[in-house]
Amino acid sequence: MKVQRKSKKDEMLEIINEKSVSELESFSIRPSLRENVEIIKHLFQDCSDFVVREFQLKNSVHGCAIFVDGLIDTKQVNEALESLMIEKGGADDVQVIESEILPVSQITQVTNYKDLLMAVLSGDTGILIEGNSIALTLGIRGAEKRSVNEPEGESVVRGPREGFIENIRTNTSLLRRRLKTPRLKMKSVVVGKQTNTNIVVAFMDGIVDPEVRDEVLARIEKINIDAVLESGYIEEMIQDNTYSPFPQVQYSERPDTVAAALLEGRVAVFVDGTPMVLIVPTTFWMMMQANEDYYERFQMATLIRWLRYLFLVVSLLTPAGYVAVTTFHPEMLPTTLLLSIAAAREAIPFPAVVEALIMEISFEALREAGIRLPKTVGQAVSILGALVVGQAAVQAGIVSAPMVIVVSITGIASFTVPHFNASIALRMLRFPLMFAASFLGIYGILIGIVLIMGHMANLRSFGVPYLSPLAPMSVGDFKDVLIRTPWPHLKQRPGFMGTQDVKRMDTLSVDQSKKEH
Amino acid sequence: MRKGYRPIISVVVLVMLSSLLLAGCWDRVEVNDRALVLAFAIDKEEDDRYRMTIQVPLVSSLGGPSGGGGGTSGDKSYYVDSATGRTLREASSVLQARMSRQLFFAHHRVIVIGEETARSGLRTILDIIARFPENRLTAYIVMAQGKGAELLEAQPQLERFSAEAMRELINMHGVAIKVKDLAQMLNTPGIDAHLPVMAAVESHPKGKTKEIQVVGSAVFVNDRPVHRIKREQANSLRWFQPAFQPFSITLPIEKNKNVSLDIHHGSADIKPIPKKDRMHYRINLQAKGTIIEDHSGIDWGDPGNIRMLETMLGRKLSKDIREMLSEVVNRQGSDPVGLGLALARKRPNLWKEKYRDRWSEHLKDVTFEINARVLIPSNGQTTENLTEEEKR
Repeated sequence: MKVQRKSKKDEMLEIINEKSVSELESFSIRPSLRENVEIIKHLFQDCSDFVVREFQLKNSVHGCAIFVDGLIDTKQVNEALESLMIEKGGADDVQVIESEILPVSQITQVTNYKDLLMAVLSGDTGILIEGNSIALTLGIRGAEKRSVNEPEGESVVRGPREGFIENIRTNTSLLRRRLKTPRLKMKSVVVGKQTNTNIVVAFMDGIVDPEVRDEVLARIEKINIDAVLESGYIEEMIQDNTYSPFPQVQYSERPDTVAAALLEGRVAVFVDGTPMVLIVPTTFWMMMQANEDYYERFQMATLIRWLRYLFLVVSLLTPAGYVAVTTFHPEMLPTTLLLSIAAAREAIPFPAVVEALIMEISFEALREAGIRLPKTVGQAVSILGALVVGQAAVQAGIVSAPMVIVVSITGIASFTVPHFNASIALRMLRFPLMFAASFLGIYGILIGIVLIMGHMANLRSFGVPYLSPLAPMSVGDFKDVLIRTPWPHLKQRPGFMGTQDVKRMDTLSVDQSKKEH
Repeated sequence: MRKGYRPIISVVVLVMLSSLLLAGCWDRVEVNDRALVLAFAIDKEEDDRYRMTIQVPLVSSLGGPSGGGGGTSGDKSYYVDSATGRTLREASSVLQARMSRQLFFAHHRVIVIGEETARSGLRTILDIIARFPENRLTAYIVMAQGKGAELLEAQPQLERFSAEAMRELINMHGVAIKVKDLAQMLNTPGIDAHLPVMAAVESHPKGKTKEIQVVGSAVFVNDRPVHRIKREQANSLRWFQPAFQPFSITLPIEKNKNVSLDIHHGSADIKPIPKKDRMHYRINLQAKGTIIEDHSGIDWGDPGNIRMLETMLGRKLSKDIREMLSEVVNRQGSDPVGLGLALARKRPNLWKEKYRDRWSEHLKDVTFEINARVLIPSNGQTTENLTEEEKR
């Protein structure tokens, strides 16, 4: 009898061992403390940071606290245990302990190993009491975290300086501080068999299109992957078209940007462990908008927006256009300019395409080197880069001076796109266009543009056409695309989002109310 | 996942395969493999062959970056070559045969037509200019005094190429004719062509090279030149151009006392008045001028004096135009100002029935009446000579 029981337990331990924590739902917590401790110790063999603290309550009932060292606030856990063991500890029933003894604000009762271990691994402290098949988890967390800083990736002149950090709770609190309404819903999902990453899907109830919301949740719940270390994992798993160069998901590390997006009827996805919050659905024009557009005077914002549109075209087409015009259609250039270009190109051994490729590729390499290297080396890279790409290459007669200008303008232009992932798409597409230009001239560029436009018109982001409101056309929404309409006149949320509540403000505008006084 | 790659791979393969088919049939030419023709001249040889002269910049001597570079010939920044042929195209292929770079005509700014060539008719020449797609209809066209090649060989000091100098000069001369304008003048009944005439002349003091100068305008009947208007007289043509170009004129007030005026606004309105046996034209002239040099010592602050000057200027302008018209229209039977066109617009039926077919002959009987309305709103920066003693 005894032998049989032991083997059954061993068998169970083995099964538990093979499974990931999220699959332990069917294993309920035993009434016997000894058995529980045995299972836990078996599971956390060789985990030096995992602590199992056994103790006795005042009335000699055995209990045990489990936690991960470093994730908890030791001082507060000590206080909790103190109240259990010394001050009031007489009860052996978990219900009584929770309601009468433990002075901890966040206590949850759990009945199975999945919930218990997930909580403990996330930083809670688990309390097991002899004779109870219910465990308590105390939400006393105290892990190290970065303080809330100004986001380096999205700096502004005017606007809040707060940025998200790696802790998801801090991030959701930053958002909640901006949207103090019960309509801000945050649904929690856990993804990743090994990482068990917490994911929060936030949206504004009553504004968001329920279909979009359900689609986002469904797509995230379907993810079956062992690890989620950054929001990029989620982005790639939920985006509509994996092979498109265009980003169909926007990310931001600014709470104000996320709040504004939610108010437009979009859905935000917080991922624990990264300051980048995903925002869907995303359209192409949103990639051309920066949060500061809405904080600065509208004339300036409109002007800057047009500047971005202009330089978007510049960054995509300048090298290709230069190659096409100089090698296929020199009649398009003013004579004097053509003579200057011809004079500069006189000693260059390469065709214009090769020249352009050399310069563009070395420029991309320089940029990559500048980002990835330690900051102390970065300066050396920029000096070397400026010398090599700029002066030396021209003087050595490898590339011509006009090409240096073309590449620098292209480089600067690609930085005017406010969202980094959108400018990546443009930078990549530049190269096929250059090839097309070298084969077929402007005709080739046009073919390339038609293909790109066709692809963009075909893209969807969670059901929203990528080019909306331009295609399909909805003239009313141009208010926030071609110009940045001043706030008193921006009464409607974007229509193409399918929002439930379209009205941003009542018909009585600020201007009208000013007139009345 | 494997399955998802398949369409992409097939697209890539398709693009690569189709680009193989394209190899060899592209028309990509690097700029340093092109010879940009800035101007060409068309002359007629004695054996009726055309001589085509081209002007090509020597790009390497234009000051690119140091290092490398092709050879240069002397200190000239351009190169002139010519060849003969039964057609212009034949001549240019002879030129191409000794040119290491591909001739590229899309950037020529000026077409020079030699005097002899013009005498043999412009229509055949204009055919190649319009038919060959690289040629531009917006290029200026000028007639040379003598050989056209001489104009291309001249090296004006202010510009790098004589082609550039010619272009600027034509614009200042006030009667710039582009290829399309010439074509239009030739194919429109009721107006005859005229072209600026240029010559390569010695500068003063004598320099190493020749300068280019506008020497007048040639007027045509049909497509052949019949008369050359001198440069001063050619100013009278400006009134009848679509856009008036300012010019200056010197007016004798008394003996050896002259006033120079700048005429900056002007327009002429042609009114055809049919008479029984001939056409009569009333030309209303409007002009605005400014005194720019005064040798008379007259007080131009006095409105009476200004009024006198206005009348004198009006008389002078009318006289000049009348002289020009009587020479060109009455004597030569050429109509460069579009008298016939004005009639055709005002009285189309009369034009069609009576005048159109033998307009050139009718021109000899045409009479004119010129009314000039001249305003001199400004007498320059000072009213009197600066050195004049102040009257107190």
